[in-house]
Amino acid sequence: MAEIAVPKAAARRGFFGRFNLEVRGHMPIAQQVLVVSAGILLGLLLSALLLIASGVKPSGLANEFIVAIFSSKRNVAAVLSYAAPLTIVGLAATLAFKARFWNIGIEGQIIFGAIGATLVANSDFGPASMRIVTMALAAMVAGMLWIALPLFLKIRLQVNEIISTLLMNYIAFNFLLHLLYGSWKDPQSAFPNSKLFDDVERLMPVGWQNLNLSVPIAIVLVLCVAWLLGMSRYGFLLNFVYSNARMARAMGVRIAGLTVLFALASGALSGFGGFMISTGIESRLTQSFFIGYGFSGILIAFLARNNPFAVAFFAILIAVLMVAGQSLQVFYQIPFAMVQLIQAIIVICVAASEFFIHYRIRMVG
Amino acid sequence: MDFLVNWLANVPGFAVPFALAALGLIVCEKSGVLNLGAEGYMLAGAMAGAGAMLSLDVHPLVALGIAALFSALLSLLFALLVITLRVNQVISGLVIVFFAQGLTALIATSQGWTNRSFSGLGELNFGPLSTLPVVGRIFFQQDIVVYLTVLVFAVTVHVLRATHVGMRLRAVGENPEAADAAGIPVGLYRLGAVVVGCMLIGLAGGYLTVAVSKIWVDGMSGGRGWIAIALVIFARWQPWSALAGAVIFGCIEALIPRMAAIGLQLPQYFVLMLPYVVTLGVMVWTSLSASRHSGQPGALGQPFVREERR
Amino acid sequence: MNAMTGHMRDTARLGLGASDAPPALSLAGVSKTFGDFAALSGVDFDLRAGEIHALLGENGAGKSTLMNIVAGIYTPDSGTVSLHGQPVVIQGPSDAQQMGVGMVHQHYKLVKPFTGLENILLSHPQGSFRAARERILVLTKEAVDRIGFDVDLNKPVEHMSVSEQQRIEILKVLVAGAKVIILDEPTAVLTDTESARLFEAMHNLAREGHPIVLVTHKLSEALNHADRITVMRGGKVVRTVLPSEVGEAELTELIVGSTIGSRGYKGCTPGAPVLKLRAIERHDSRGGALRNLTFDVRAGEIYGIAGVGGNGQNALVEVITGLGTADAGNIWLQGYGDVTNRPSEQMRRCGIACIPSDRQSDALAGELRIADNYAIGGVIKGLYGSVLKVDRRRIEADTREAIRRFEVMGVRSAHQKAGLLSGGNAQKLVIAREFSGEPTLILAHSPSRGLDVRASSAIHDHLRAARDRGAGVILISEDLDEVLMLADRIGVMNRGSIVAEFEVPADRQAIGKAMVGHG
Repeated sequence: MAEIAVPKAAARRGFFGRFNLEVRGHMPIAQQVLVVSAGILLGLLLSALLLIASGVKPSGLANEFIVAIFSSKRNVAAVLSYAAPLTIVGLAATLAFKARFWNIGIEGQIIFGAIGATLVANSDFGPASMRIVTMALAAMVAGMLWIALPLFLKIRLQVNEIISTLLMNYIAFNFLLHLLYGSWKDPQSAFPNSKLFDDVERLMPVGWQNLNLSVPIAIVLVLCVAWLLGMSRYGFLLNFVYSNARMARAMGVRIAGLTVLFALASGALSGFGGFMISTGIESRLTQSFFIGYGFSGILIAFLARNNPFAVAFFAILIAVLMVAGQSLQVFYQIPFAMVQLIQAIIVICVAASEFFIHYRIRMVG
Repeated sequence: MDFLVNWLANVPGFAVPFALAALGLIVCEKSGVLNLGAEGYMLAGAMAGAGAMLSLDVHPLVALGIAALFSALLSLLFALLVITLRVNQVISGLVIVFFAQGLTALIATSQGWTNRSFSGLGELNFGPLSTLPVVGRIFFQQDIVVYLTVLVFAVTVHVLRATHVGMRLRAVGENPEAADAAGIPVGLYRLGAVVVGCMLIGLAGGYLTVAVSKIWVDGMSGGRGWIAIALVIFARWQPWSALAGAVIFGCIEALIPRMAAIGLQLPQYFVLMLPYVVTLGVMVWTSLSASRHSGQPGALGQPFVREERR
Repeated sequence: MNAMTGHMRDTARLGLGASDAPPALSLAGVSKTFGDFAALSGVDFDLRAGEIHALLGENGAGKSTLMNIVAGIYTPDSGTVSLHGQPVVIQGPSDAQQMGVGMVHQHYKLVKPFTGLENILLSHPQGSFRAARERILVLTKEAVDRIGFDVDLNKPVEHMSVSEQQRIEILKVLVAGAKVIILDEPTAVLTDTESARLFEAMHNLAREGHPIVLVTHKLSEALNHADRITVMRGGKVVRTVLPSEVGEAELTELIVGSTIGSRGYKGCTPGAPVLKLRAIERHDSRGGALRNLTFDVRAGEIYGIAGVGGNGQNALVEVITGLGTADAGNIWLQGYGDVTNRPSEQMRRCGIACIPSDRQSDALAGELRIADNYAIGGVIKGLYGSVLKVDRRRIEADTREAIRRFEVMGVRSAHQKAGLLSGGNAQKLVIAREFSGEPTLILAHSPSRGLDVRASSAIHDHLRAARDRGAGVILISEDLDEVLMLADRIGVMNRGSIVAEFEVPADRQAIGKAMVGHG
């Protein structure tokens, strides 16, 4: 008899008579993109309604999100300067998620990366010409250190990394406060900030608007991650770990090794992101510099389905939201939390739209 | 001695949020729905409770009810995602936390509830009992929710263990296919468990504002939801063990202000790290002592689609 | 199966009112499609009061689908279902239950941590919990006495053997008041002795007035125990016959369409041992324990391991492939010496290939491309490109070649997801990959489980070809027929060790005895 793979089916009784819920075997990529795009659009539409309900005029909406941003070079530069670190934390989340390691502790790693970089800056370690590179390296090492414990606990003791990495966020935050209210506090500032970085401790400007090297670095990192996941042997094997770990183990893939490698890379990238935010945007360590990045990184990786190029795309989308959110805050007194809410709404809509990728509803009788 | 009594008298107030949140998680997860959104429901409950106190000027117990209801409302969104649309439960739980963080900050700021204190729930007075030395302070000068919590635990344990509803709920969480074959409406049971569980978590959040801090600050649940999740794993999904764990965490949290009060000079922020560090420690201990039975419901985290064709 | 042939059918029972009373269950013109696949087309079937009716056919013939319609799990696209002459619409499993239809599925639907009684109680939430518990206990005990079951109702299901679990399933159906009972491949997981006891109970049930549909692919069961046999093929009913009317050959032809010539036994020419296991010990783990496990496999032979599932087969596979460790003893491999407890990657480098029993979860990544699934072994060994760049072009060329050579059907491109392959073709892909490195030792665990006759025989041919090439092959199977047909030497595995070895041709009875012995 002909062996045909059939879609899985389930008969259910619904509110409107009878319908079948079938598990789809496969949906063409183009169609999947279409469904996800519909999800994003729905999310944006709901967000727009929410904004209108909170007092933004529909005309103002178009103005803030489209005209104001894309008509001024300054705003485009602002979007890009937010998009660069967002891309990097999105890549960090992607690397961890591809290794089935739920790194929810990106925020803590960002904090520690920035602490590592600031430590180098504060102590004027090494030659001034190499200062910025040293800071970046220190940030990556610090980010790796901060993921190392949950990673060790996961691999050795099967401790749930979702919770352990999350707890590490709170610990990192309290440690940051300890420094900022203590020995690292800038005596010239009324706020708990570290002292401003010197010029050699900041990323070089690229000469267009106030953009610095962060954007080219982010582009290079996107390419690196794309190569790592798409072309290298590690990426090839990681696909198996991601899609069927049991099988990968049976084939002789060293899962623990790959997990360690990619999780550490994730921590290093997050730390690097922290370095980029503190030197590139704030030029000092503050008690709130990291807010929103860790969580956006996770959402970006989810929206991008772990594709590095899509990560860059969604990072720009979120950056637009952040820049627009700031002006909404100024002109309409809409709390910045709205930005977070909108991100969550978009993700919920996209997640919901995936239902139609996995299942097909068929009416019967 | 004074130190000890002061400390222990404060424990129940700190333990109640952990206990109620852990119990809510157990109810939810016994049905097989992994709920990582606890932190979000606590925030929702805390904000709603504070809002009710500030804007509606209701009795604190009514405010607690509103906290539970608001959290239940939010849980319907989660239920839509994981039960109807069968979205990955980890992602859904996390996104609910982010959603709740944004939503509560937005509502509280726009309503002007942030950083405004109010008079919340007071302690019960048992007359002469309350003035007994030592025992009076610890056992008879607590608010009504403390006593109700024990009652809620007893009822929940009874329902789970010795009623049709409880047994069927556990069956849904252990093996939804078997439950479905036995004629149990899996989706409905999961919906019920999610809503009831999240009401309890919301109540825990409401208690934070209405009875403990008597003020709303953005993100004020401070990771207690995550600690509650760790507690449930530690308790192997057993309600009474979860209560014991909650008391342990209550002791730790109650200790923090006490240490400052007696003039102990410790680096403040390291002390504040304590609950998180202890939680990590508890998780390590749990996995080191893991016996064959983790107690985890068999179908935890798995969406249910009826009878796939093999 | 000699033990069962002595069992006389209660033929007198058949005559009773069968002619005028309406059939207990009758299906007319039932069709069902899944996507583009017609699982059933225009099926007629009837079950008379008091009979055991075998529904016989290959895997995928539509037997289970047909009965799942009666049990309310699938809705038919067209056709009618009648119970005792009344047309009914069955809208779900609970509907079916209320109408007196009970089905015991191939995969038991039991809640593991619950006791047997609690599992039965689950479907009967009427009245207070305590009262319901008492009532169901009484009802269950009654049913137990009626059909002569031996079962501890207060034992958690997770501690029960498969046959005990099956008894709970049957009790569940009986307590629910089923008049019509459907058993889907009930003996697939039972030993010969347990099967015999089950058939005894089935005859008792039929005598008590519960007609039974026995879904099976085993000829002997149908011939020895059924009152009538309905043969299905390709989603259609071929014919309904009386066991007395047909012989095995004729029945086989009805099942597969054309008689498959039985392959003559071709002797092997074994060489020196390629694998020696000596006194392997492994404490109980999920794969089961191993106790003093010792055997050799020679080059150019198929060493069959017969035994009831759960006697350490999984542990054996894990120890040899390096997925699990042995607590004592050693493993010797030709050319490599002592390889005890080397990790799986090294074992594969030593020329060990494995066809695991559960190909969906252990052998393929369904989400990934066929080409990737084919090439992963080679990629790990460093055959395709460097660490920095995997050579996709060569992977695809090699995959296309392998697909052609191993006749993997239903492949439009090597980019297709492996999960879209049907069971037989997925297994061929696994074999193509595992054989690609010219392994010296092949471990095949239930390689034809769940496959139809054609796919199974293709798989068997590949195993034989590997043997003739000079590889040592270990065939682990719970299907004694498969082992007897394929193996050149047979070891019987019981409670973690090889308790007896047989040269072929071997005595089936003696093997069966060793499989269930408690020596």
